[in-house]
Amino acid sequence: MPSADSGKRPRWWRPELGLALVVLGLGVFVVVGTLDVSAAASQLGLGPRFFPMLVGGAMVLIGLFYVADVLRGGRGDPEESEDVDPDAPADWRSVGLVSGVFLGFAAVLDLLGWIISASLLFFGLSVVLGAAHRLRAAGIAVILAVTTYLLFVKGLGVTLPAGVLRGVI
Amino acid sequence: MQLLLDGFAAALTPVNLMYALIGVTLGTLVGVLPGIGPAMTVALLLPITFTVPPASAFIMFAGIYYGGMYGGSTTSILLNTPGESSSMITALEGNKMARRGRAAQALATAAIGSFVAGTIATALLVVAAPAVVSFAISFGPADYFALAILAFTAVSSVLSRSVVRGLASLGFGLVIGLIGIDQQTGQARLTLGLRQLLDGVDVVIVAVGLFALGEALYVASRLRHAAPEVVPVGRAWMGRSDWGRSWRPWLRGTALGFPFGALPGGGAEIPTFLSYAAEKRLARGVAREEYGKGAIEGVAGPEAANNASAAGTLVPLLTLGLPTSATAAIMLAAFQQYGLQPGPQLFDHNPALVWGMIASLFIGNAMLLVLNLPLAPLWARLLLIPRPYLYAGIVVFAALGVYALKASVVDLVVLFVLGLLGFAMRRFGLPVAPAVIGMILGPMAEIQLRRALAIGAGDVSVLVESWVSVVLLLLSGVALLTPLFRRLWARRAA
Repeated sequence: MPSADSGKRPRWWRPELGLALVVLGLGVFVVVGTLDVSAAASQLGLGPRFFPMLVGGAMVLIGLFYVADVLRGGRGDPEESEDVDPDAPADWRSVGLVSGVFLGFAAVLDLLGWIISASLLFFGLSVVLGAAHRLRAAGIAVILAVTTYLLFVKGLGVTLPAGVLRGVI
Repeated sequence: MQLLLDGFAAALTPVNLMYALIGVTLGTLVGVLPGIGPAMTVALLLPITFTVPPASAFIMFAGIYYGGMYGGSTTSILLNTPGESSSMITALEGNKMARRGRAAQALATAAIGSFVAGTIATALLVVAAPAVVSFAISFGPADYFALAILAFTAVSSVLSRSVVRGLASLGFGLVIGLIGIDQQTGQARLTLGLRQLLDGVDVVIVAVGLFALGEALYVASRLRHAAPEVVPVGRAWMGRSDWGRSWRPWLRGTALGFPFGALPGGGAEIPTFLSYAAEKRLARGVAREEYGKGAIEGVAGPEAANNASAAGTLVPLLTLGLPTSATAAIMLAAFQQYGLQPGPQLFDHNPALVWGMIASLFIGNAMLLVLNLPLAPLWARLLLIPRPYLYAGIVVFAALGVYALKASVVDLVVLFVLGLLGFAMRRFGLPVAPAVIGMILGPMAEIQLRRALAIGAGDVSVLVESWVSVVLLLLSGVALLTPLFRRLWARRAA
């Protein structure tokens, strides 16, 4: 993923170049990654390697054009959205915190169970995104986690982990 | 006609009416709320609806699709920034009308126009679908492959100002679609040795990652800290002169929206823009003075166009199995989940399902009119939800939907990676729809290609043997080159 402009980068570096290189790299990965898929399976017609080769080759080509476009100064228009201020500088701290909260949730979900983990996820995200009242955020978090658990597990038969609250609820 | 009447009989059962009502309500809800749209909602509902009979599930999904188009207009008109991409144009005149105190009239012309357009366009769907089916019945694998190529190129080149960015998005989708066991030979591809990836990446994870988590991360990076400015509104209504000024734009919008929705890569963006431009050019008298300051024609036309395009999208989806929008692509995945393959055969084998769904569109449209005219103030209040809670809630539901698939934490990590991809795509202006379409249509394109080449015993010329495939491939070439021509033209004009 493209990282923030640190100022130490060379002058031709642009964040979008990172994404263009990901496209190029993914193309190479597809071509190389399917080399070990054996093609002997099919006598007539094509084996399982042909289409990945086509896609991988196309990705490499697209990646090259993309890199060239970025280097020549081409820019995509950032997507417009109701809650996005297109002129604001990117707030990498918030992005990092949102990522951290989400990955932390994934790490503790099986251990602590849905109710506690989802409460923490909601509370963490709303605080990171600027919730004014922490107590209210915590309250909504617990209510949301408990109702989703009851609705989906008891009502719809979806499997969610009970975790440390096993037996309590 | 008899089939359609049977369809109404199926759609009018209490259970299916309930699913239609749930669908249109959910659709309006997600259409109004920023950050989530119909594509993601249908994806999140896929695992939950597995126990529901297919006819009911599709009645609900179609309701969500139509409802999303209605709800988007409320946001565009009452909020000072554009909403869903399909109602971006509505915001131009709609929000100005609202600020001049004509919010009720703007909402009314949008809702009634959507109803008129949705009803006419669904009737056109009834007429067009059997015609396309009787034509497509003779399509061979090579024709279907060419059709997929046309969808890929058209979607990639139309949705973005930059073709290379559209194609890059498509490529991401195609690569994701490759992951897992090859259906024909049982060979594992691109699984990185992970057992969890053998079944491929589920469409739910891709849609939720790219749409919900990607949007949440994007919003986190550039959150608008000022509170949203929502124009207060009462009950939606309009007077006699508004009716007089609205009905022609509604019909013109429908005429533009339906064919564009049916074309690969057409979508809702182009017809809404064309309708806006057409109404501007045709404006006379009061309308001409008001244009740019909140003319009702500029709301009526584009809103009709975007609803008609939603009906248009269903023509290629049902008759050819060809999705032309992200929501349609996810509905295609839903058909596959039930072991159904949309296409000419679907009309033969499952007439009850297809016609029940089409009949439910008429019913859903009527329900939406009732939901949106008197209840507009209620929907508007949803816009006041504080954004931190809204996005935190969206992520909680995203995690819930993905975890519910297989109770796998690996899926949550894949979801996060796709969320980062969605974030990067938004930041650098890559359209998301080509990725979703590529992921779902890619594996089908591969099957058709291999089938075609097996028939030709390895001879590549089978791909261009029928005139249908030749025409489709030529059109694909045109789609790719159009932006280039446009640039040359602009240069010559300058």
